[in-house]
Amino acid sequence: MSTVVNFENLWCVFEHRSGQLVHALEDVNFRVDPGEFVCVVGRSGHGKTTLLRVLAGLQPPTAGAVKLGETAVTGPGSDRAMVFQQDTVFPWLHVKDNVEFGLRANKLPEGERNEITDYWLQAVGLEEFADSWPRELSGGMRKRVALASAMAVGSDVVLMDEPFGSLDYFTRRNLHEVLLNLWVETKKTIFFVTHDIEEALILADRVILLAEGKLVDDIAVNLPRPRNEDVRATPEAVSIFKLILAHLGITEEEATQA
Amino acid sequence: MTTTTETDILDVRAAAHRQKRRRQIAYVLYLILGLILSLLIWQLVAAPFSPLFYLVPPPFDAFRHFGENLMFSERMLERYVHACPDLLDELELTGGGMFDLPDHCFGYIRHIMRTTRNIMIAVTLGTIFGLTVGLSSLVFPRIADVVTPIAGFFGTTPIFIAAPFFVIWFGIEYPLMTTVGVVVFYTTLLMYFFSRRAADNIEVGIIESALTLGGDRRSIFRWVYLPGTIPEIAGGFRIALAGAWGLGTLVEVLGIQMGGGFLIRMWSFAMGVLEGPAAVVSLILFFGVLAVVVDGILVLFIRYITRWSESGRKLGL
Repeated sequence: MSTVVNFENLWCVFEHRSGQLVHALEDVNFRVDPGEFVCVVGRSGHGKTTLLRVLAGLQPPTAGAVKLGETAVTGPGSDRAMVFQQDTVFPWLHVKDNVEFGLRANKLPEGERNEITDYWLQAVGLEEFADSWPRELSGGMRKRVALASAMAVGSDVVLMDEPFGSLDYFTRRNLHEVLLNLWVETKKTIFFVTHDIEEALILADRVILLAEGKLVDDIAVNLPRPRNEDVRATPEAVSIFKLILAHLGITEEEATQA
Repeated sequence: MTTTTETDILDVRAAAHRQKRRRQIAYVLYLILGLILSLLIWQLVAAPFSPLFYLVPPPFDAFRHFGENLMFSERMLERYVHACPDLLDELELTGGGMFDLPDHCFGYIRHIMRTTRNIMIAVTLGTIFGLTVGLSSLVFPRIADVVTPIAGFFGTTPIFIAAPFFVIWFGIEYPLMTTVGVVVFYTTLLMYFFSRRAADNIEVGIIESALTLGGDRRSIFRWVYLPGTIPEIAGGFRIALAGAWGLGTLVEVLGIQMGGGFLIRMWSFAMGVLEGPAAVVSLILFFGVLAVVVDGILVLFIRYITRWSESGRKLGL
Protein backbone atom coordinates (compact mmCIF):
# COMPACT_ATOMS: atom_id res chain seq x y z
CA MET A 1 0.00 0.00 0.00
CA SER A 2 2.16 2.84 -1.21
CA THR A 3 -0.05 5.23 -3.08
CA VAL A 4 0.02 8.84 -1.94
CA VAL A 5 -2.97 10.87 -3.10
CA ASN A 6 -2.30 14.51 -3.91
CA PHE A 7 -4.91 17.15 -4.59
CA GLU A 8 -3.07 19.96 -6.34
CA ASN A 9 -4.72 23.35 -6.90
CA LEU A 10 -7.95 21.61 -7.74
CA TRP A 11 -10.74 23.66 -9.27
CA CYS A 12 -14.07 22.44 -10.48
CA VAL A 13 -16.39 25.03 -11.97
CA PHE A 14 -19.80 24.31 -13.48
CA GLU A 15 -21.89 26.60 -15.59
CA HIS A 16 -25.45 26.85 -14.35
CA ARG A 17 -28.28 26.96 -16.90
CA SER A 18 -28.69 30.64 -16.06
CA GLY A 19 -25.10 31.20 -17.21
CA GLN A 20 -23.85 31.72 -13.67
CA LEU A 21 -20.60 29.95 -12.75
CA VAL A 22 -20.75 27.66 -9.74
CA HIS A 23 -17.46 26.97 -7.99
CA ALA A 24 -17.91 23.41 -6.72
CA LEU A 25 -14.23 23.20 -5.76
CA GLU A 26 -11.93 26.14 -5.35
CA ASP A 27 -8.18 25.70 -5.19
CA VAL A 28 -8.22 22.59 -3.04
CA ASN A 29 -4.79 21.37 -1.93
CA PHE A 30 -4.03 18.47 0.39
CA ARG A 31 -2.13 15.24 0.53
CA VAL A 32 -3.25 11.89 1.90
CA ASP A 33 -0.74 9.28 2.96
CA PRO A 34 -1.21 5.57 2.31
CA GLY A 35 -3.54 3.79 4.72
CA GLU A 36 -5.18 6.92 6.10
CA PHE A 37 -8.90 7.04 6.81
CA VAL A 38 -10.03 10.47 5.67
CA CYS A 39 -13.52 11.79 6.15
CA VAL A 40 -14.60 14.67 3.96
CA VAL A 41 -17.22 16.66 5.87
CA GLY A 42 -19.31 19.59 4.77
CA ARG A 43 -22.83 20.83 4.22
CA SER A 44 -24.86 19.62 1.26
CA GLY A 45 -23.79 21.20 -2.01
CA HIS A 46 -20.40 22.34 -0.71
CA GLY A 47 -18.25 20.12 -2.96
CA LYS A 48 -17.80 16.86 -1.04
CA THR A 49 -19.18 14.58 -3.72
CA THR A 50 -17.50 16.57 -6.51
CA LEU A 51 -14.15 16.08 -4.77
CA LEU A 52 -14.73 12.34 -4.63
CA ARG A 53 -15.95 12.16 -8.23
CA VAL A 54 -12.84 13.99 -9.44
CA LEU A 55 -10.71 11.51 -7.53
CA ALA A 56 -12.74 8.62 -8.98
CA GLY A 57 -12.17 9.99 -12.47
CA LEU A 58 -15.89 10.41 -13.07
CA GLN A 59 -15.60 14.21 -13.23
CA PRO A 60 -12.72 16.03 -14.94
CA PRO A 61 -11.35 19.00 -12.99
CA THR A 62 -11.54 22.48 -14.49
CA ALA A 63 -7.99 23.18 -13.33
CA GLY A 64 -5.39 21.49 -11.19
CA ALA A 65 -5.05 17.77 -10.75
CA VAL A 66 -5.50 14.78 -8.50
CA LYS A 67 -2.46 12.55 -8.52
CA LEU A 68 -2.03 8.99 -7.37
CA GLY A 69 1.69 8.91 -6.72
CA GLU A 70 3.04 10.77 -9.73
CA THR A 71 0.19 9.85 -12.05
CA ALA A 72 -2.65 12.29 -12.65
CA VAL A 73 -6.17 10.85 -12.58
CA THR A 74 -7.66 11.02 -16.07
CA GLY A 75 -10.55 8.57 -15.81
CA PRO A 76 -12.17 5.89 -13.66
CA GLY A 77 -10.28 2.73 -12.80
CA SER A 78 -10.23 -0.18 -10.42
CA ASP A 79 -7.35 1.41 -8.46
CA ARG A 80 -10.04 3.71 -6.95
CA ALA A 81 -13.11 1.55 -6.36
CA MET A 82 -16.09 3.52 -5.16
CA VAL A 83 -19.10 2.77 -2.96
CA PHE A 84 -21.99 5.07 -3.84
CA GLN A 85 -24.72 6.64 -1.79
CA GLN A 86 -27.43 5.07 -3.92
CA ASP A 87 -27.92 1.35 -4.35
CA THR A 88 -25.53 0.36 -7.14
CA VAL A 89 -25.47 -3.39 -6.61
CA PHE A 90 -26.26 -5.10 -9.91
CA PRO A 91 -29.74 -6.56 -9.30
CA TRP A 92 -29.36 -9.13 -12.10
CA LEU A 93 -26.26 -10.75 -10.61
CA HIS A 94 -26.17 -13.08 -7.63
CA VAL A 95 -24.37 -11.67 -4.59
CA LYS A 96 -21.27 -13.72 -5.42
CA ASP A 97 -21.22 -12.50 -9.04
CA ASN A 98 -21.58 -8.91 -7.84
CA VAL A 99 -18.45 -9.22 -5.73
CA GLU A 100 -16.74 -10.97 -8.62
CA PHE A 101 -17.60 -8.27 -11.18
CA GLY A 102 -14.44 -6.19 -10.74
CA LEU A 103 -12.28 -9.29 -10.74
CA ARG A 104 -13.86 -10.47 -13.98
CA ALA A 105 -13.48 -7.03 -15.52
CA ASN A 106 -9.81 -7.12 -14.56
CA LYS A 107 -9.53 -10.58 -16.16
CA LEU A 108 -8.40 -12.57 -13.16
CA PRO A 109 -8.37 -16.35 -13.61
CA GLU A 110 -11.44 -18.18 -12.31
CA GLY A 111 -9.72 -19.95 -9.43
CA GLU A 112 -8.26 -16.73 -8.08
CA ARG A 113 -11.59 -14.96 -8.55
CA ASN A 114 -13.43 -17.58 -6.52
CA GLU A 115 -10.85 -17.47 -3.75
CA ILE A 116 -10.96 -13.67 -3.46
CA THR A 117 -14.76 -13.55 -3.69
CA ASP A 118 -15.21 -16.17 -0.98
CA TYR A 119 -12.77 -14.30 1.25
CA TRP A 120 -14.57 -10.96 0.96
CA LEU A 121 -18.02 -12.46 1.30
CA GLN A 122 -16.86 -13.98 4.55
CA ALA A 123 -15.23 -10.72 5.62
CA VAL A 124 -18.55 -8.86 5.33
CA GLY A 125 -20.54 -11.78 6.77
CA LEU A 126 -22.46 -12.68 3.62
CA GLU A 127 -21.03 -16.11 2.82
CA GLU A 128 -24.43 -17.72 3.40
CA PHE A 129 -26.04 -15.35 0.89
CA ALA A 130 -23.56 -15.93 -1.95
CA ASP A 131 -26.25 -17.37 -4.22
CA SER A 132 -29.00 -14.92 -3.27
CA TRP A 133 -30.38 -12.21 -5.50
CA PRO A 134 -29.86 -8.65 -4.23
CA ARG A 135 -33.65 -8.18 -4.02
CA GLU A 136 -33.64 -10.84 -1.31
CA LEU A 137 -31.30 -8.79 0.88
CA SER A 138 -31.93 -5.87 3.21
CA GLY A 139 -30.55 -2.39 2.49
CA GLY A 140 -27.69 -2.93 4.93
CA MET A 141 -26.78 -6.27 3.39
CA ARG A 142 -26.75 -4.72 -0.09
CA LYS A 143 -24.33 -2.08 1.22
CA ARG A 144 -22.12 -4.90 2.45
CA VAL A 145 -22.18 -6.38 -1.06
CA ALA A 146 -21.11 -3.01 -2.48
CA LEU A 147 -18.38 -2.77 0.15
CA ALA A 148 -17.12 -6.29 -0.57
CA SER A 149 -17.13 -5.56 -4.34
CA ALA A 150 -15.03 -2.42 -3.81
CA MET A 151 -12.63 -4.15 -1.42
CA ALA A 152 -12.28 -7.29 -3.53
CA VAL A 153 -11.09 -5.46 -6.62
CA GLY A 154 -7.79 -4.89 -4.83
CA SER A 155 -7.46 -1.12 -5.10
CA ASP A 156 -5.23 0.75 -2.65
CA VAL A 157 -7.76 3.57 -2.44
CA VAL A 158 -11.45 3.11 -1.66
CA LEU A 159 -13.90 5.97 -2.13
CA MET A 160 -17.18 6.09 -0.23
CA ASP A 161 -19.82 8.71 -0.94
CA GLU A 162 -22.19 8.84 2.04
CA PRO A 163 -22.60 5.09 1.69
CA PHE A 164 -24.61 4.57 4.87
CA GLY A 165 -26.69 7.72 4.65
CA SER A 166 -29.94 5.97 3.84
CA LEU A 167 -29.63 3.29 6.51
CA ASP A 168 -31.11 3.17 9.99
CA TYR A 169 -28.98 3.90 13.07
CA PHE A 170 -28.36 0.29 14.10
CA THR A 171 -27.44 -0.91 10.62
CA ARG A 172 -25.15 2.09 10.22
CA ARG A 173 -23.35 1.34 13.48
CA ASN A 174 -22.93 -2.26 12.46
CA LEU A 175 -21.50 -1.25 9.08
CA HIS A 176 -19.08 1.20 10.75
CA GLU A 177 -17.72 -1.74 12.67
CA VAL A 178 -17.47 -3.92 9.55
CA LEU A 179 -15.74 -1.13 7.63
CA LEU A 180 -13.25 -0.34 10.40
CA ASN A 181 -12.33 -4.03 10.75
CA LEU A 182 -11.71 -4.26 7.01
CA TRP A 183 -9.66 -1.06 7.07
CA VAL A 184 -7.50 -2.27 9.97
CA GLU A 185 -6.98 -5.55 8.17
CA THR A 186 -6.17 -4.14 4.72
CA LYS A 187 -4.79 -0.67 5.53
CA LYS A 188 -6.31 0.71 2.37
CA THR A 189 -6.61 4.47 2.02
CA ILE A 190 -10.26 5.37 2.53
CA PHE A 191 -11.98 8.58 1.47
CA PHE A 192 -15.33 8.74 3.18
CA VAL A 193 -17.74 11.56 2.40
CA THR A 194 -20.31 12.32 5.07
CA HIS A 195 -22.32 15.18 6.47
CA ASP A 196 -22.64 13.37 9.79
CA ILE A 197 -20.01 14.72 12.19
CA GLU A 198 -20.45 11.85 14.63
CA GLU A 199 -19.86 9.35 11.85
CA ALA A 200 -16.65 11.20 10.95
CA LEU A 201 -15.51 11.07 14.59
CA ILE A 202 -16.14 7.33 14.77
CA LEU A 203 -14.26 6.55 11.56
CA ALA A 204 -11.65 9.12 10.62
CA ASP A 205 -7.93 9.68 11.16
CA ARG A 206 -8.41 13.05 9.52
CA VAL A 207 -11.36 15.24 8.77
CA ILE A 208 -11.17 17.43 5.67
CA LEU A 209 -13.68 20.22 5.99
CA LEU A 210 -15.17 21.75 2.90
CA ALA A 211 -17.27 24.90 2.84
CA GLU A 212 -18.46 26.47 -0.41
CA GLY A 213 -15.91 24.40 -2.31
CA LYS A 214 -12.94 25.55 -0.25
CA LEU A 215 -10.88 23.47 2.13
CA VAL A 216 -11.43 25.29 5.40
CA ASP A 217 -9.67 22.95 7.79
CA ASP A 218 -7.78 19.70 7.96
CA ILE A 219 -8.30 18.23 11.42
CA ALA A 220 -6.36 15.28 12.81
CA VAL A 221 -8.57 12.99 14.90
CA ASN A 222 -6.21 11.38 17.36
CA LEU A 223 -8.82 9.66 19.48
CA PRO A 224 -8.25 6.09 20.68
CA ARG A 225 -10.13 3.30 18.90
CA PRO A 226 -12.69 1.81 19.17
CA ARG A 227 -14.48 5.12 19.44
CA ASN A 228 -17.45 4.17 21.53
CA GLU A 229 -19.79 6.60 23.33
CA ASP A 230 -17.27 7.07 26.18
CA VAL A 231 -14.46 8.07 23.81
CA ARG A 232 -16.76 10.40 21.91
CA ALA A 233 -17.72 12.06 25.21
CA THR A 234 -14.10 12.93 26.14
CA PRO A 235 -13.20 16.64 26.15
CA GLU A 236 -10.87 16.11 23.16
CA ALA A 237 -13.63 14.55 21.06
CA VAL A 238 -16.11 17.20 22.09
CA SER A 239 -13.69 19.99 21.15
CA ILE A 240 -13.19 18.45 17.66
CA PHE A 241 -16.95 18.16 17.34
CA LYS A 242 -17.38 21.83 18.28
CA LEU A 243 -14.58 22.91 15.96
CA ILE A 244 -16.26 21.17 13.03
CA LEU A 245 -19.60 22.72 13.97
CA ALA A 246 -18.04 26.15 14.10
CA HIS A 247 -16.46 25.72 10.67
CA LEU A 248 -19.76 24.61 9.23
CA GLY A 249 -21.46 27.61 10.79
CA ILE A 250 -23.80 25.50 12.90
CA THR A 251 -24.55 26.35 16.51
CA GLU A 252 -24.62 23.61 19.14
CA GLU A 253 -28.35 24.13 19.55
CA GLU A 254 -28.94 23.57 15.84
CA ALA A 255 -26.73 20.48 15.94
CA THR A 256 -28.65 19.07 18.91
CA GLN A 257 -31.93 19.71 17.15
CA ALA A 258 -30.62 18.04 14.01
CA MET B 1 -43.90 -16.47 27.88
CA THR B 2 -44.50 -19.00 25.11
CA THR B 3 -41.88 -20.81 23.09
CA THR B 4 -42.07 -21.58 19.39
CA THR B 5 -41.62 -25.26 18.61
CA GLU B 6 -40.71 -26.93 15.35
CA THR B 7 -44.31 -28.13 15.07
CA ASP B 8 -45.53 -24.51 15.29
CA ILE B 9 -43.20 -23.52 12.44
CA LEU B 10 -44.39 -26.43 10.33
CA ASP B 11 -48.00 -25.41 11.01
CA VAL B 12 -47.27 -21.86 9.83
CA ARG B 13 -45.61 -23.20 6.69
CA ALA B 14 -48.53 -25.51 6.00
CA ALA B 15 -50.97 -22.62 6.46
CA ALA B 16 -48.95 -20.44 4.06
CA HIS B 17 -48.91 -23.29 1.55
CA ARG B 18 -52.69 -23.73 1.88
CA GLN B 19 -53.21 -20.00 1.34
CA LYS B 20 -51.08 -20.06 -1.78
CA ARG B 21 -52.97 -23.09 -3.12
CA ARG B 22 -56.29 -21.35 -2.40
CA ARG B 23 -55.15 -18.30 -4.37
CA GLN B 24 -54.15 -20.51 -7.31
CA ILE B 25 -57.49 -22.34 -7.28
CA ALA B 26 -59.37 -19.02 -7.07
CA TYR B 27 -57.37 -17.75 -10.05
CA VAL B 28 -58.33 -20.77 -12.17
CA LEU B 29 -61.97 -20.57 -11.06
CA TYR B 30 -62.21 -16.89 -12.01
CA LEU B 31 -60.59 -17.70 -15.35
CA ILE B 32 -63.20 -20.38 -16.05
CA LEU B 33 -65.96 -18.03 -14.89
CA GLY B 34 -64.66 -15.36 -17.29
CA LEU B 35 -64.66 -17.82 -20.19
CA ILE B 36 -68.19 -19.01 -19.38
CA LEU B 37 -69.42 -15.41 -19.19
CA SER B 38 -67.77 -14.58 -22.53
CA LEU B 39 -69.42 -17.59 -24.18
CA LEU B 40 -72.76 -16.64 -22.64
CA ILE B 41 -72.52 -13.06 -23.97
CA TRP B 42 -71.46 -14.40 -27.36
CA GLN B 43 -74.44 -16.77 -27.39
CA LEU B 44 -76.77 -13.87 -26.53
CA VAL B 45 -75.30 -11.67 -29.28
CA ALA B 46 -75.81 -14.52 -31.76
CA ALA B 47 -79.40 -15.25 -30.63
CA PRO B 48 -82.27 -14.74 -33.16
CA PHE B 49 -83.51 -11.63 -31.29
CA SER B 50 -80.09 -9.91 -31.57
CA PRO B 51 -79.53 -7.27 -34.29
CA LEU B 52 -76.19 -8.97 -34.99
CA PHE B 53 -77.84 -12.35 -35.55
CA TYR B 54 -76.83 -12.48 -39.24
CA LEU B 55 -73.21 -11.50 -38.62
CA VAL B 56 -72.33 -13.40 -35.45
CA PRO B 57 -72.63 -17.17 -35.40
CA PRO B 58 -73.33 -19.04 -32.15
CA PRO B 59 -70.13 -20.27 -30.47
CA PHE B 60 -70.83 -23.91 -31.19
CA ASP B 61 -71.28 -23.22 -34.94
CA ALA B 62 -67.94 -21.43 -35.06
CA PHE B 63 -66.13 -24.21 -33.19
CA ARG B 64 -67.77 -26.89 -35.33
CA HIS B 65 -66.89 -25.09 -38.56
CA PHE B 66 -63.28 -24.76 -37.49
CA GLY B 67 -63.04 -28.42 -36.45
CA GLU B 68 -64.64 -29.66 -39.67
CA ASN B 69 -62.37 -27.59 -41.92
CA LEU B 70 -59.10 -27.75 -40.06
CA MET B 71 -57.49 -30.75 -41.72
CA PHE B 72 -59.58 -30.91 -44.90
CA SER B 73 -62.18 -28.49 -46.17
CA GLU B 74 -64.65 -29.49 -48.86
CA ARG B 75 -65.51 -25.83 -49.31
CA MET B 76 -61.90 -25.10 -50.22
CA LEU B 77 -61.85 -27.97 -52.69
CA GLU B 78 -65.11 -26.72 -54.28
CA ARG B 79 -63.51 -23.32 -54.72
CA TYR B 80 -60.21 -24.75 -55.99
CA VAL B 81 -58.40 -23.12 -53.10
CA HIS B 82 -55.38 -24.96 -51.80
CA ALA B 83 -52.21 -24.11 -49.89
CA CYS B 84 -49.66 -26.33 -51.70
CA PRO B 85 -48.46 -24.41 -54.79
CA ASP B 86 -45.01 -26.06 -54.77
CA LEU B 87 -46.50 -29.53 -54.54
CA LEU B 88 -48.94 -28.75 -57.35
CA ASP B 89 -46.04 -27.61 -59.57
CA GLU B 90 -44.34 -30.97 -58.99
CA LEU B 91 -47.56 -32.88 -59.67
CA GLU B 92 -48.17 -31.02 -62.91
CA LEU B 93 -44.75 -32.12 -64.16
CA THR B 94 -45.89 -35.74 -63.89
CA GLY B 95 -49.29 -35.07 -65.43
CA GLY B 96 -51.19 -34.72 -62.16
CA GLY B 97 -53.49 -31.90 -61.08
CA MET B 98 -55.13 -30.14 -58.18
CA PHE B 99 -57.36 -33.07 -57.30
CA ASP B 100 -54.31 -35.23 -56.75
CA LEU B 101 -53.14 -33.00 -53.91
CA PRO B 102 -53.28 -34.54 -50.43
CA ASP B 103 -56.28 -33.62 -48.22
CA HIS B 104 -54.36 -31.36 -45.84
CA CYS B 105 -53.61 -28.98 -48.76
CA PHE B 106 -57.31 -28.06 -48.65
CA GLY B 107 -57.50 -27.74 -44.87
CA TYR B 108 -57.17 -24.57 -42.84
CA ILE B 109 -54.15 -26.04 -41.13
CA ARG B 110 -51.76 -25.35 -44.03
CA HIS B 111 -52.86 -21.70 -44.22
CA ILE B 112 -52.59 -21.23 -40.48
CA MET B 113 -49.16 -22.84 -40.40
CA ARG B 114 -47.97 -20.62 -43.23
CA THR B 115 -49.13 -17.48 -41.43
CA THR B 116 -47.57 -18.64 -38.17
CA ARG B 117 -44.30 -19.51 -39.90
CA ASN B 118 -44.12 -16.15 -41.68
CA ILE B 119 -44.81 -14.24 -38.49
CA MET B 120 -42.23 -16.21 -36.52
CA ILE B 121 -39.57 -15.71 -39.22
CA ALA B 122 -40.36 -12.01 -39.43
CA VAL B 123 -40.42 -11.38 -35.68
CA THR B 124 -37.14 -13.27 -35.27
CA LEU B 125 -35.45 -11.32 -38.07
CA GLY B 126 -36.84 -7.98 -36.90
CA THR B 127 -35.77 -8.68 -33.33
CA ILE B 128 -32.26 -9.65 -34.45
CA PHE B 129 -31.94 -6.51 -36.63
CA GLY B 130 -33.43 -4.15 -34.06
CA LEU B 131 -31.45 -5.48 -31.13
CA THR B 132 -28.20 -5.73 -33.06
CA VAL B 133 -28.38 -2.09 -34.06
CA GLY B 134 -29.85 -0.92 -30.74
CA LEU B 135 -27.38 -2.73 -28.51
CA SER B 136 -24.38 -2.03 -30.76
CA SER B 137 -25.17 1.64 -30.48
CA LEU B 138 -24.57 1.38 -26.73
CA VAL B 139 -20.98 0.36 -27.37
CA PHE B 140 -20.53 2.61 -30.41
CA PRO B 141 -22.66 5.73 -29.82
CA ARG B 142 -22.02 6.97 -33.40
CA ILE B 143 -24.36 4.22 -34.62
CA ALA B 144 -27.18 5.79 -32.61
CA ASP B 145 -26.34 9.23 -34.05
CA VAL B 146 -26.84 7.86 -37.56
CA VAL B 147 -29.70 5.41 -36.98
CA THR B 148 -31.93 7.29 -34.52
CA PRO B 149 -33.02 10.06 -36.95
CA ILE B 150 -33.80 7.49 -39.67
CA ALA B 151 -35.63 5.21 -37.24
CA GLY B 152 -37.41 8.25 -35.85
CA PHE B 153 -38.61 9.21 -39.33
CA PHE B 154 -39.91 5.73 -40.17
CA GLY B 155 -41.15 5.24 -36.65
CA THR B 156 -43.57 8.10 -37.09
CA THR B 157 -45.14 6.37 -40.10
CA PRO B 158 -48.10 4.40 -38.75
CA ILE B 159 -47.54 0.77 -39.62
CA PHE B 160 -51.11 0.37 -40.84
CA ILE B 161 -50.31 2.97 -43.48
CA ALA B 162 -47.00 1.30 -44.33
CA ALA B 163 -48.62 -2.15 -44.69
CA PRO B 164 -50.51 -1.46 -47.97
CA PHE B 165 -47.30 0.03 -49.35
CA PHE B 166 -45.52 -3.29 -48.78
CA VAL B 167 -48.37 -5.14 -50.52
CA ILE B 168 -48.07 -2.83 -53.54
CA TRP B 169 -44.27 -2.88 -53.53
CA PHE B 170 -43.68 -6.62 -53.23
CA GLY B 171 -46.97 -7.59 -54.80
CA ILE B 172 -49.19 -10.50 -53.97
CA GLU B 173 -47.02 -12.93 -55.90
CA TYR B 174 -44.39 -13.05 -53.18
CA PRO B 175 -46.37 -13.50 -49.99
CA LEU B 176 -43.30 -14.35 -47.93
CA MET B 177 -41.57 -11.08 -48.88
CA THR B 178 -44.70 -9.01 -48.33
CA THR B 179 -45.85 -10.43 -44.99
CA VAL B 180 -42.35 -10.87 -43.64
CA GLY B 181 -41.33 -7.43 -44.95
CA VAL B 182 -44.07 -5.58 -43.08
CA VAL B 183 -43.52 -7.43 -39.83
CA VAL B 184 -39.71 -7.15 -40.02
CA PHE B 185 -40.04 -3.41 -40.64
CA TYR B 186 -42.34 -2.99 -37.65
CA THR B 187 -40.41 -5.30 -35.31
CA THR B 188 -37.01 -3.82 -36.18
CA LEU B 189 -38.13 -0.29 -35.36
CA LEU B 190 -39.87 -1.37 -32.17
CA MET B 191 -36.94 -3.42 -30.88
CA TYR B 192 -34.46 -0.68 -31.74
CA PHE B 193 -36.41 1.88 -29.73
CA PHE B 194 -37.01 -0.51 -26.84
CA SER B 195 -33.34 -1.48 -26.59
CA ARG B 196 -32.30 2.18 -26.59
CA ARG B 197 -34.90 3.09 -24.00
CA ALA B 198 -33.97 0.10 -21.84
CA ALA B 199 -30.33 1.19 -21.85
CA ASP B 200 -31.28 4.77 -21.03
CA ASN B 201 -33.23 3.52 -18.03
CA ILE B 202 -30.23 1.81 -16.45
CA GLU B 203 -29.21 4.08 -13.60
CA VAL B 204 -26.10 6.16 -14.20
CA GLY B 205 -24.86 5.19 -10.73
CA ILE B 206 -24.75 1.52 -11.75
CA ILE B 207 -22.66 2.30 -14.84
CA GLU B 208 -20.35 4.55 -12.80
CA SER B 209 -19.99 1.87 -10.16
CA ALA B 210 -19.02 -0.63 -12.88
CA LEU B 211 -16.45 1.87 -14.22
CA THR B 212 -14.82 2.36 -10.82
CA LEU B 213 -14.63 -1.41 -10.40
CA GLY B 214 -12.54 -1.61 -13.56
CA GLY B 215 -15.27 -2.26 -16.10
CA ASP B 216 -14.45 -1.46 -19.71
CA ARG B 217 -16.86 -1.15 -22.66
CA ARG B 218 -16.89 -4.89 -23.23
CA SER B 219 -17.44 -6.00 -19.65
CA ILE B 220 -20.03 -3.30 -19.00
CA PHE B 221 -21.89 -4.34 -22.13
CA ARG B 222 -21.73 -8.02 -21.18
CA TRP B 223 -22.49 -7.73 -17.46
CA VAL B 224 -24.48 -4.52 -17.15
CA TYR B 225 -26.26 -3.50 -20.36
CA LEU B 226 -27.21 -6.96 -21.62
CA PRO B 227 -28.82 -8.31 -18.44
CA GLY B 228 -30.06 -4.89 -17.32
CA THR B 229 -32.00 -4.24 -20.50
CA ILE B 230 -33.65 -7.67 -20.67
CA PRO B 231 -36.89 -6.78 -18.82
CA GLU B 232 -37.71 -3.83 -21.07
CA ILE B 233 -36.55 -5.56 -24.24
CA ALA B 234 -38.66 -8.56 -23.32
CA GLY B 235 -41.63 -6.24 -22.79
CA GLY B 236 -40.98 -4.74 -26.23
CA PHE B 237 -40.77 -8.19 -27.75
CA ARG B 238 -44.18 -9.09 -26.34
CA ILE B 239 -45.67 -5.92 -27.85
CA ALA B 240 -43.91 -6.65 -31.17
CA LEU B 241 -45.18 -10.23 -31.26
CA ALA B 242 -48.73 -9.26 -30.32
CA GLY B 243 -48.74 -6.63 -33.06
CA ALA B 244 -47.12 -9.02 -35.52
CA TRP B 245 -50.08 -11.43 -35.38
CA GLY B 246 -52.42 -8.62 -36.32
CA LEU B 247 -50.12 -7.15 -38.96
CA GLY B 248 -49.23 -10.45 -40.62
CA THR B 249 -52.87 -11.41 -40.88
CA LEU B 250 -53.85 -7.91 -42.06
CA VAL B 251 -51.36 -8.06 -44.93
CA GLU B 252 -52.84 -11.39 -45.99
CA VAL B 253 -56.32 -9.91 -45.81
CA LEU B 254 -55.13 -7.06 -48.04
CA GLY B 255 -54.20 -9.26 -50.96
CA ILE B 256 -52.01 -12.31 -50.32
CA GLN B 257 -53.30 -15.57 -51.85
CA MET B 258 -52.52 -17.80 -48.93
CA GLY B 259 -52.58 -17.86 -45.12
CA GLY B 260 -55.09 -17.26 -42.35
CA GLY B 261 -55.75 -13.68 -43.45
CA PHE B 262 -56.51 -14.88 -46.96
CA LEU B 263 -59.09 -17.36 -45.58
CA ILE B 264 -60.73 -14.53 -43.62
CA ARG B 265 -60.89 -12.37 -46.79
CA MET B 266 -62.25 -15.23 -48.85
CA TRP B 267 -65.00 -16.03 -46.36
CA SER B 268 -65.82 -12.36 -45.85
CA PHE B 269 -67.34 -12.39 -49.34
CA ALA B 270 -69.80 -14.98 -48.11
CA MET B 271 -70.92 -13.30 -44.91
CA GLY B 272 -74.56 -13.30 -45.91
CA VAL B 273 -74.72 -16.92 -46.96
CA LEU B 274 -73.66 -20.38 -45.91
CA GLU B 275 -71.24 -20.59 -43.03
CA GLY B 276 -69.35 -17.36 -43.86
CA PRO B 277 -69.77 -15.72 -40.43
CA ALA B 278 -68.82 -18.93 -38.63
CA ALA B 279 -65.67 -19.24 -40.75
CA VAL B 280 -64.58 -15.63 -40.26
CA VAL B 281 -65.30 -15.59 -36.54
CA SER B 282 -63.66 -18.97 -35.94
CA LEU B 283 -60.49 -17.93 -37.79
CA ILE B 284 -60.25 -14.60 -35.97
CA LEU B 285 -60.85 -16.37 -32.68
CA PHE B 286 -58.23 -18.98 -33.48
CA PHE B 287 -55.56 -16.36 -34.15
CA GLY B 288 -56.58 -14.52 -31.00
CA VAL B 289 -56.26 -17.65 -28.88
CA LEU B 290 -52.98 -18.58 -30.59
CA ALA B 291 -51.56 -15.12 -29.81
CA VAL B 292 -52.68 -15.36 -26.18
CA VAL B 293 -51.19 -18.85 -25.75
CA VAL B 294 -47.86 -17.84 -27.33
CA ASP B 295 -47.82 -14.71 -25.16
CA GLY B 296 -48.53 -16.79 -22.04
CA ILE B 297 -45.60 -19.10 -22.78
CA LEU B 298 -43.46 -16.04 -23.45
CA VAL B 299 -44.46 -14.47 -20.12
CA LEU B 300 -43.36 -17.58 -18.22
CA PHE B 301 -40.06 -17.60 -20.09
CA ILE B 302 -39.50 -13.87 -19.47
CA ARG B 303 -40.29 -14.26 -15.80
CA TYR B 304 -37.72 -17.02 -15.60
CA ILE B 305 -34.93 -15.07 -17.27
CA THR B 306 -35.73 -11.98 -15.20
CA ARG B 307 -36.13 -13.93 -11.98
CA TRP B 308 -33.77 -11.48 -10.30
CA SER B 309 -36.47 -8.81 -10.56
CA GLU B 310 -39.90 -8.49 -8.97
CA SER B 311 -41.45 -10.80 -11.57
CA GLY B 312 -39.10 -13.50 -10.33
CA ARG B 313 -40.37 -12.98 -6.81
CA LYS B 314 -43.94 -13.45 -8.05
CA LEU B 315 -42.92 -16.76 -9.60
CA GLY B 316 -41.35 -17.79 -6.30
CA LEU B 317 -37.92 -18.21 -7.95
